[in-house]
Amino acid sequence: MRLLLVEDSIALADELAASLKRQGYALDWLADGRDALVQGATEPYDLIILDLGLPGLSGLDVLRQWRADGLTTPVLILTARTSWSERIDGLKAGADDYLGKPFHPEELQLRIQALLRRSHGQGNTNQLQVKGLILDENRQCAVLGECTVELTAAEFALLRYFMLHPGQILSKGRLQEHLYDGETEPDSNVVEVHVSHLRRKLGRDCIETRRGQGYLFCGRTP
Amino acid sequence: MTGSIARFLLLRLVLMLVVAGLVLSQLGIYWLDHSLRQYNREQLQQQSQSLLFSLIRDENNELVVNERHHDAQFLQPFSGHYFIIAVDGEEFRSRSLWDFVWPDPPPATGELFAGPNRQQLLIYRTRYQMDNSQIEVTVAEDYQPVLERFYRLRNHGLVGGLLTLVLIGLWQWRLIVRALRPLEQTRQQLLELERGERRRLDESVADELLPLVRQSNQLLSHIEEQLKRSRNAAGNLGHALKTPLAILTTLLERPELTTAPELKRALKQQLQLIEQRIGRELNRARMAGEQAASLKFVCSEEIPALLELMQQIHPQLAFHYHADAQLRLPFDRDDLLELLGNLLDNAGKWATTQVQLELHTDARHLYIHIQDDGPGIAPAQRQLLMQRGQRADEHSPGHGLGLAIVQDIVHALHGQLELRDSELGGLQVDLRLPLA
Repeated sequence: MRLLLVEDSIALADELAASLKRQGYALDWLADGRDALVQGATEPYDLIILDLGLPGLSGLDVLRQWRADGLTTPVLILTARTSWSERIDGLKAGADDYLGKPFHPEELQLRIQALLRRSHGQGNTNQLQVKGLILDENRQCAVLGECTVELTAAEFALLRYFMLHPGQILSKGRLQEHLYDGETEPDSNVVEVHVSHLRRKLGRDCIETRRGQGYLFCGRTP
Repeated sequence: MTGSIARFLLLRLVLMLVVAGLVLSQLGIYWLDHSLRQYNREQLQQQSQSLLFSLIRDENNELVVNERHHDAQFLQPFSGHYFIIAVDGEEFRSRSLWDFVWPDPPPATGELFAGPNRQQLLIYRTRYQMDNSQIEVTVAEDYQPVLERFYRLRNHGLVGGLLTLVLIGLWQWRLIVRALRPLEQTRQQLLELERGERRRLDESVADELLPLVRQSNQLLSHIEEQLKRSRNAAGNLGHALKTPLAILTTLLERPELTTAPELKRALKQQLQLIEQRIGRELNRARMAGEQAASLKFVCSEEIPALLELMQQIHPQLAFHYHADAQLRLPFDRDDLLELLGNLLDNAGKWATTQVQLELHTDARHLYIHIQDDGPGIAPAQRQLLMQRGQRADEHSPGHGLGLAIVQDIVHALHGQLELRDSELGGLQVDLRLPLA
């Protein structure tokens, strides 16, 4: 999952970036509203965390412009403006969720998880459960029936992306785009390596390879 | 100047009228007296000339007065018309003088002097030369009747003047009171201003009052500007503090702190206190505090959006809303949304399946009822909850704070808040807000 964080406080952005990276998200950070307007619309983000009080262009204006241009990426507003009328204004501008500062980091984490699940049609569940497999996002491990499978950070991020896109063929390029931030240039075979690790841990037929097209997550269909 | 303007004006006016009246009447009497004396003098002059013709030569070729020639007025004693003709030292007195002794030395022409019977005599004296004889004719006339008429005229004038003075005074008083009425109007407007029913003084006033009203309005906008600035400053400060607070809250989750849970808990508690305080002050700074004149709040536009938001926050609950579809309310949008938002969110935190919102109005009030089917609050605890900033449950943060903010808004809108048992089983919050 690749996220865009638009926040003009460097200290907060640093803390959030560290915490979000620990949770297996690829993260790009911008501080200026004008940059966000362009980059948010061009890069393939899965979710955008948007502050409202931004230099250059206010967060609400950025959001309205995105929605007017047809951008459907889920947006979570993270702001000090927490009155109810401001929340309503935020939702009317096209936000999918609204979190007021100060917030508990865990709260942000849960909101991001829920918003991602919701935007991928997983409904209002509190955990990611697809095709017989449960992903524990807090402990970063997979649950297969009774047994728990430990995952590395990279494997966890990859599995999460697969589980949020079940039944979709995902190309290597797309996986790379969504699992690494704009500054990391991954090795060409890094996805292959992690896919094979996942297969070893979860079973061979868990991820199918479609030659020339990409990978397809099949889960543990009995 | 201190004291009453009306009294000041009236006193000065009366003083002026009295002085002017006295001076004018005195001048008038003097002028009348003067011209009458002039006229009498001419009369006396003619008389003295005609008396001259009454002089005849007697058998001794002496000049004597021919009494037959005289007017009757010179014959009747003390008639008020007298003469003394001196011919070469010999005096002929009119019979009317009777036994009156002429003052010595005799008064000069044009003078008044005391005559017989309290008469005031005005005299005229001329000398003539007739054939070698020195003739001095002195004619006197009683001026007292004229003087008496003057006194009467003066008395009448005094009474008339006084009456006029009183009338003018009364009229002037009315005029002053009427002229000062705009001041009273402006005072009324200032009162309305204080009550927040008005934002400016009316500038359609008398020219003399306009600078004052303009100056006041300028002062008002200055104060308003100051207030707005300090509100903005408080708002900006509050919002600016929230990001560092967010950073601190995030930092608390650093793995280094897991070894000091006591410290972490204490820090977290203080941060929460700061956050609550900021939330409360932000709300106060935000509150418009003034009654909106127009029906700004369109329920059918604002409340569904708020309920949608509530639904998103509490997806497991059903939110029911009852109100007249056409309901428009004279409240600031932010105030009412903050009020409803906090109450609904609180209800949502406690409800098990549903929350009900009901709005209705009568001629003077807006009534808001919010109920939930949660566990409710025992009557004894409601009292505690109503005390500001009190929390019903430490584990459900925001309940107390939300209510404190609600109470601030209700207070600012001069409304009333009441907690009671809901028919749904939980808590019911009843609000009554005056519409005007």
